[in-house]
Amino acid sequence: MRRILDLANNTLFVYYLVSNLIYLVLLVTALTKNTLHRHRLGSLRLERLKNSPFTPPITIVVPAHNEQNSIVDSIRSLLTLDYPEMEVVVVNDGSRDNTLEELKRAFELRPARLLYIPDVPSAPVRTIYTSWTEPRLLVLDKDSAGSKADAINAGLNLATSPYVCVVDADCILEKESLLRIMAGIFSDPSRVVAVGGIVRVLNGCQVEHGELREVRLPRRGIEVLQVIEYLRAFLIGREAWAHFNALPIISGAFGIFRKDLIKKVGGFRAHAIGEDFDLVVRLHRYLQEKNQDYHISFIPDPTCWTEVPSDIRSLARQRARWHKGLLDALWPNRDMLFNPHYGRVGSLILPYMWLFELFAPLVEFVGYASILVAAILGLLSHQFLLLFLIFGYAFATLISIGSVLLEEMTYRRYSDWREVARLLLYCLVEHFPYRQLTMIWRLQGLWQYLRGDLKWGELKRVGASAGA
Amino acid sequence: MDFVFRLVSQLGPVAGMVLKAIFFSLLGIFLLVAFIVTRRWYRARYFRRLNERTFALRSVWDDLVAGRVPAKEWRLKPLDCDIVEAILLDNIETATPDQLQPLLSCLRNSGLLDMRIREARISGNWNRRTALVALGRTRAPEAVPALAEALDSTSEETRVAAVRGLGRTGLPGAAVPLLDRLVGNELKAPEHTIKNALANCCRKSPGVLISYMNKSTGQTRELIARVLGEVANAELGDELMILAADPLAEVRASAARALAAAPPSIALPALTVLVCDDEWFVRLRAVVALGSMRHQGRVRPLIRALCDRNRYVRQRAAWALARLGPQLEDVLEQVVDTRDSYALQAFVSELERSGAIERVIAALPESGSDSSAGNVLLDALNAGRKRVEAALVSAAAAGSR
Repeated sequence: MRRILDLANNTLFVYYLVSNLIYLVLLVTALTKNTLHRHRLGSLRLERLKNSPFTPPITIVVPAHNEQNSIVDSIRSLLTLDYPEMEVVVVNDGSRDNTLEELKRAFELRPARLLYIPDVPSAPVRTIYTSWTEPRLLVLDKDSAGSKADAINAGLNLATSPYVCVVDADCILEKESLLRIMAGIFSDPSRVVAVGGIVRVLNGCQVEHGELREVRLPRRGIEVLQVIEYLRAFLIGREAWAHFNALPIISGAFGIFRKDLIKKVGGFRAHAIGEDFDLVVRLHRYLQEKNQDYHISFIPDPTCWTEVPSDIRSLARQRARWHKGLLDALWPNRDMLFNPHYGRVGSLILPYMWLFELFAPLVEFVGYASILVAAILGLLSHQFLLLFLIFGYAFATLISIGSVLLEEMTYRRYSDWREVARLLLYCLVEHFPYRQLTMIWRLQGLWQYLRGDLKWGELKRVGASAGA
Repeated sequence: MDFVFRLVSQLGPVAGMVLKAIFFSLLGIFLLVAFIVTRRWYRARYFRRLNERTFALRSVWDDLVAGRVPAKEWRLKPLDCDIVEAILLDNIETATPDQLQPLLSCLRNSGLLDMRIREARISGNWNRRTALVALGRTRAPEAVPALAEALDSTSEETRVAAVRGLGRTGLPGAAVPLLDRLVGNELKAPEHTIKNALANCCRKSPGVLISYMNKSTGQTRELIARVLGEVANAELGDELMILAADPLAEVRASAARALAAAPPSIALPALTVLVCDDEWFVRLRAVVALGSMRHQGRVRPLIRALCDRNRYVRQRAAWALARLGPQLEDVLEQVVDTRDSYALQAFVSELERSGAIERVIAALPESGSDSSAGNVLLDALNAGRKRVEAALVSAAAAGSR
């Protein structure tokens, strides 16, 4: 028994050490890359891009399911974005609330018999609406297939631009975000096939008529903890992985893709739970198989603000769903794992995702269990455990504070020093019990997937304006 | 401390390693927090001072530009110098030609322009790029040579800054070093940046592009053609006719786009030929150009394009036709005459999108049968193959009964 416990403890120790070292490398890479990016922005003038005749049109696809609280403000906000030529396609995915009625009322919609060619499959389309007041808006009403991916596919079929930007209906994009994200494409249009922007937490911010007036940190602790998570995930994780051209995910809340390429890979997988992750992995697969020189990029300054769950139950559902989505995207692509044909994606990022993302809650759980068993059997070295816990705590805090530092050095959205102080404080307290709860929710997600429960689950939303 | 050493000796070398890791992690946390706090404090102080000095300098701005406040009073103070330059460059960007001269004189007389030219030539990395950006914003002809030199830099960032800088000057002379290097295949920068810079520089005199097009081949020729497509004006009519017959499809497409700016007497015959080109994107560009013209003669080639085998060409032709205004009823008849169900579908779809369908329905024969006429169009859209002409006749007959 002792040998088994020793083995388990040593394995866990190495696992933890390696994962922390990876995070350290990612942090240093992200710091360097962010600083370079900020300098580069010095010579970029967005008005030039806006007035350039070479700036290609964009279609914004907005899947909406039961979004009556926020849909009108969100669409108004999208229509005021700075971009020379764009269209907004809202897909009402069988909403059971008044989403469609709200849109009809706000934008004076009328049914239109437009050409709809289903290049990528989706659930049946009921009606397509155009607006009397806003010619750039199209609303597509369709049966629900129970997935966001299916709604995006329907929107893709109606899109007329070479680039498609997928935005969640409850999100608010900053005015210049489209120009900023397209700058990533312009840097090398022949290689860059998709670009992700940063997603930040909207809760607590002041929003008026779909426009962000003032950035503030949320009041509730559970929301502040998510702010830190988002900063860590985007400013460290995505930034660094994109540097290695191994970005595994472009957030479903805000990303831009070459439309022809999405269609070539068959669109979003209709029943994917994590459709964003799934699509990016399939894009990597397709482009690697075709031996194409490509880049899937991340740019940290185009910002999308999204409402995060503000109650434990919704957060638990969301995290369980994310973990289900992770497994759901990794499992069909398991043949890419350690396969040299797939370059860094097969040999670096997918093993990382399996080992340090998918299995992380399992390993953590085994770690806690082995400590408990060792304690019961009297085999536990209390001093060593204490040292190990302090190390774990200190290192994880260092990484979290690193993400706050990145935010401070680059974009400084939280201008009040008291808010930064709060962020730093939450970096110190996020490891208990929030981390353990997250572990449980992610384990629940795994269990649900293995049981065949592939439902999305409803999230409770209060609407962006209410966050003020 | 004794406790720590005792603990390490008890637990062995692994614990020692963990202890070191803890120490460095805590040190890291302390340093990061200290850095954040210090940086915040420093920036708050800096911006407070910046605001004060900006306010002070703005209050004497007119005297400062006119030289009544001697340059030596602010030129040697780094913060003041930065503020004056920033305000000058902002003003230059939005200045009319009349307003530009005093601002440029201030830049020249104060030595700011020379300072930036010097930095652009001898500084390294970030300072050089900052200088290149500033030089571009000055719109001063003296800045062009220094910007051109930076095009040969080994650093891509510097080359991009130089290309952007040359574009920002908006001077026709700034296009020459870009085009020289482009034709000589010596310019390594993103295509989009080069195109934008050339478009900015050549907007007033697109003729310069024609001479370089004649010297270039392959992708370079295509790139220059694309810029020409955007900046061409009516004076280039004859040259565009030659380009419309170019063996490179991309050049023909750009010529088609540029022909939109040429007089209809020149453009229409050329575009009528380009609408039947072998390459779909050439036909598409020709259709777009026809759509932007204001000439009766465009309807026939557009209707031909409406029957194109390529979906995008059909859609774009339909888009142009659906926005013809009072002639829509005639156009509908001509579309029906084509007996092409795809053409009809595309046209009706665009009528829907433009909102003109209600008016067309109302204007159909025997307006008493609005609903039947609407049904005809609906049937046309839904069934595609239906003989609309026959349906129209029967609808009219029903109305008269």
